[in-house]
Amino acid sequence: MRSAFQQDLDILEATLQEEGQLVLRALRGAIKALEQRDEELADEVIAFDDDVDQRYVQIEEGIQLLLARQTPVATDLRLVLAILHVNLHLERMADYCVTIAKLTKLVPEVDPGPRFVEGFEEMGSRCEEMIRIALDSFGNRDLEGAESLVELDELIDRANRRVVERILELGGDPEMREYGLRMVIVSRALERIGDHAVDIGEQTAYLLTAEFREFTDASHPSPRKA
Amino acid sequence: MTEGITMTPVIEVAQARKDAEPVQRDIVFDIQKLTASYGKEPAISDVDLEIYRNVITAVIGPSGCGKSTFIRCLNRMNDLVPGAKIDGKILYQGDDLYASGVDPVEVRRRIGMVFQKANPFPKSIYDNVAWGPRVLGMRKDLDERVEKALRGAALWDEVKDRLKKNALSLSGGQQQRLCIARAIAVEPDVLLLDEPASALDPIATSAIEELMDELKRDYTLVIVTHNMQQAARVADMTAFFSLDVDEGRRTGVLVEYDETAKIFTNPSDKRTEDYVTGRFG
Amino acid sequence: MNRDRRRRIVNRTMEAVATVAAIVAIAVLAIVVISVAKRGAGAIGWDFFTKPQALFGQPGGGIANALVGTALLVVMACAMALPVGVLTAVYLTEFAPRRLAVPIQVVIDVLAGLPTIVIGIFVYALLVIGHTQSGIAGAFALAIIMLPLVARATQEVLLLVPSTLREASLALGVRRWRTVLGVILPSSVGGILTGTVLAVARAAGETAPLLFTSSIFANSVQTDVTKALPNIPVLIFTYSEQPDPALHEQAWAAALVLMAFVLVASLAAKALLARSRRKLVG
Repeated sequence: MRSAFQQDLDILEATLQEEGQLVLRALRGAIKALEQRDEELADEVIAFDDDVDQRYVQIEEGIQLLLARQTPVATDLRLVLAILHVNLHLERMADYCVTIAKLTKLVPEVDPGPRFVEGFEEMGSRCEEMIRIALDSFGNRDLEGAESLVELDELIDRANRRVVERILELGGDPEMREYGLRMVIVSRALERIGDHAVDIGEQTAYLLTAEFREFTDASHPSPRKA
Repeated sequence: MTEGITMTPVIEVAQARKDAEPVQRDIVFDIQKLTASYGKEPAISDVDLEIYRNVITAVIGPSGCGKSTFIRCLNRMNDLVPGAKIDGKILYQGDDLYASGVDPVEVRRRIGMVFQKANPFPKSIYDNVAWGPRVLGMRKDLDERVEKALRGAALWDEVKDRLKKNALSLSGGQQQRLCIARAIAVEPDVLLLDEPASALDPIATSAIEELMDELKRDYTLVIVTHNMQQAARVADMTAFFSLDVDEGRRTGVLVEYDETAKIFTNPSDKRTEDYVTGRFG
Repeated sequence: MNRDRRRRIVNRTMEAVATVAAIVAIAVLAIVVISVAKRGAGAIGWDFFTKPQALFGQPGGGIANALVGTALLVVMACAMALPVGVLTAVYLTEFAPRRLAVPIQVVIDVLAGLPTIVIGIFVYALLVIGHTQSGIAGAFALAIIMLPLVARATQEVLLLVPSTLREASLALGVRRWRTVLGVILPSSVGGILTGTVLAVARAAGETAPLLFTSSIFANSVQTDVTKALPNIPVLIFTYSEQPDPALHEQAWAAALVLMAFVLVASLAAKALLARSRRKLVG
C-alpha cells in the first residue's frame, strides 16, 4: 500500500502548491484593486477566496484520511504535519487579501496618490516574492531558501513603517483620516502575509531538520520584529 | 481573475484517482439476516451486509467475533464443518447461494479463497498453479495461464527460473502469493482472504497489500484481518464485527459497516470507536 | 528428606528395571539372529539361491523354487490388499460419516488381531475344499493378513496430511474425490509404501495360512498360480521335520534369508516414512 500512500502524499503536496498559486493571484488582484480603486476587481478577489478555501478543505480532509489510514512515520509524518501547517498559513494569507479588498471597497473615492501607490506596490511585490520563495523552498526542500525569508521579511517590515509614517503625515482632514486608518490595516495585512511566509519557511526547516524552532523569537529582540 | 484555474498534471492524476473509485456500486453479495451456527450455538447472528464489486471490503473485530465464520459462509466452506448450519440468505449476483440445487463445489470455483497460513501443495511451483485449471478442464494454453496467474500475484519475476522447484522451497511471503496465484488461476469472480498476512513479516505483508490494491481492478475482494491498520490501509469498505454477550452466550454481530474512511475517522457506533481507538479488545 | 530419598530410590529402581528389560529384548533378538546365522550360514551359497530343491534323498539343491513362489505369493497378495486397504483408509478418513467410521475401524482392528491360523482355515474352507491348493488361495489368505496393516498405515499417513491442503483444493472448486486423488494421495505415497513394505515383510513369513492353502508343491520352480506354489515358510517347516541334518541346515539358511528380508524391509520402511514426513512438513 506504500505506493498508493506515496501517491496520496504527492497529490497533497501538489494541491498545496496549487493553493499557493491561487494565493499569489489573490494578492496581485487585491493590490491592483487597491491601487486602481477598482471595486469590481475587489469583489472578484473576495469571491475568489472560495477557491482557496476549497483547496484548504481538500488538504485538511486528505490529511485526516492519510493519518487515519496510513499512519505515516518519520519523514512522511513530518511532511504531513508540515503540509497541515503550511495549508493554514496559505489560507490566512488569502484571508488577508480579502481584508485588503474589503477595505478598498470602503474608501473608493480617495485617490491614494503616487506616494501610497508606490508603497503598496513595494510591499505587494515583496510579499509576492516571499510567497514564491516560501513555496519553492518547501517544494525543493531548500533550507537556505527558507532561511532567507527572514531577511526579506525585514524589508517588508521597513516598508510597513514607511507607509505608516506617510499615513501619519496625512494630517487632520476627516476624510483622509478615515482613509489613513483603513490603510494602516492594509499595510498591517501585507506585513502579516510576510510573517506567514516566514512561518512556511519554518515548516520547511522542520521538515528537513526535524527540529521545532522559530527563525526569530518574538519574546527576544530580533532583526525580524524590530 | 475569474477565468478557470489551470490544473497542474498532478492534480489531474488526483482527479483521475478519484474518478476511478466506483460511483455506481454493483452489489456482489447481498447478505440478509445471516445467522451461522456450529451445533446449537450461533457463531454470528443477523448479519445484513452488501458487498460491492471491484472493491476491497475488510472485516475486522476482536477474536472470536465470527469474522472467519462470516467469510467462510460466502463460499460455502462452512459446509465442510460437521454441524455447521446457515439461516438467512446470501444472494450472490442475485442468486441464493444456499438454495437447494446449488452445487457448493461450483460456488467455490467462482469464489476463491486464500487462507491464513500459506498452504501450497507439496508439488512444484508450476503444478501448484496449474493443478486447479487442469482438474477443472481449463487445459488450453496452460503455460500462459500459469504465467498470467503468477504475474497477477506479482510472483512471476521471482519464480520464472525455477517453476519446477518444490513450492515449499519458497519463503513464507512467496508461498502466500503463490496461493493467491493458485486461486486466481481458475479465474474466480471473488477472492476471499482469511487473514492472509497474519503470519508474514512487514515487508511480505506490504507486498500482499500492494497486490490486493492491484487485484481489485479485476476481482471483488473480501479480507478478514485482525490488523486494524491493515484494514485502514487497503480496504475501501470496512465491516466491524463484535461479540454480543447475552446470558453467557457469545455471538458475533455486525456492529457497523461503512466506508473505511468513515470507520477510521468518525465511526457511528460507540463500540466501533472503542475498538478502533484501542480502548477495547 | 526421607520421602525425597525414597523417591530417588524408586526412580533409580524403575530406571534399572526398564533398562534390563530393554537389554533382554535386544539380547533375545541377538541370540535368535546369531543362532540362526550360525546354523544356516554353512548352506548359503550360489546354488542355494539358484537351484530348486533336490529330489528326495539326493544331496545339494537350493530354495530357488520357494523364493520364486514366495515372491509370486507376496506380489499377488499386495495386488489384492493394497487397493482395498488404501481405499478403505481413504473412505474412513475422507468420506465416512462418524457413525460408519467407528464400526469399520473396529472391524479392521479385529481383523488385525485375528490369529493367522483362523484366516488359513477360513480360506481353506472357502477356496481349497472341493478344489485344490493354489497360489491364489495362498495369496488371498496373505492379503487378508496384509489388509488391516495397509489400511492402518494409510490411515495414519492420511491423517498426517494437513487439513489446510484439503481446504486449499476444495476452495478451488475441486471435487472431493479429485482432491483425494490429486493432492492427498500423492502427498502420502511415502507413508502408504511404508505400510505396504511392513505388511509384505509380515506376510512373507506367514506359515499357518500357507499350510492350508499352498503346502503340497513340486520340487521345481513353479509359476502356475492355480497350483500350489512352493514357498519359504512351508519349506522351513517341512525341512525341519526331516531326519536329514543337511536339510536342517538348509531350513536354518532359509530362515536366515527370511529374517534378512524382514530386517531390510523394516529399515526401508523407516527411511521411506522419514522422507514422506519431510515432504509434507516442508
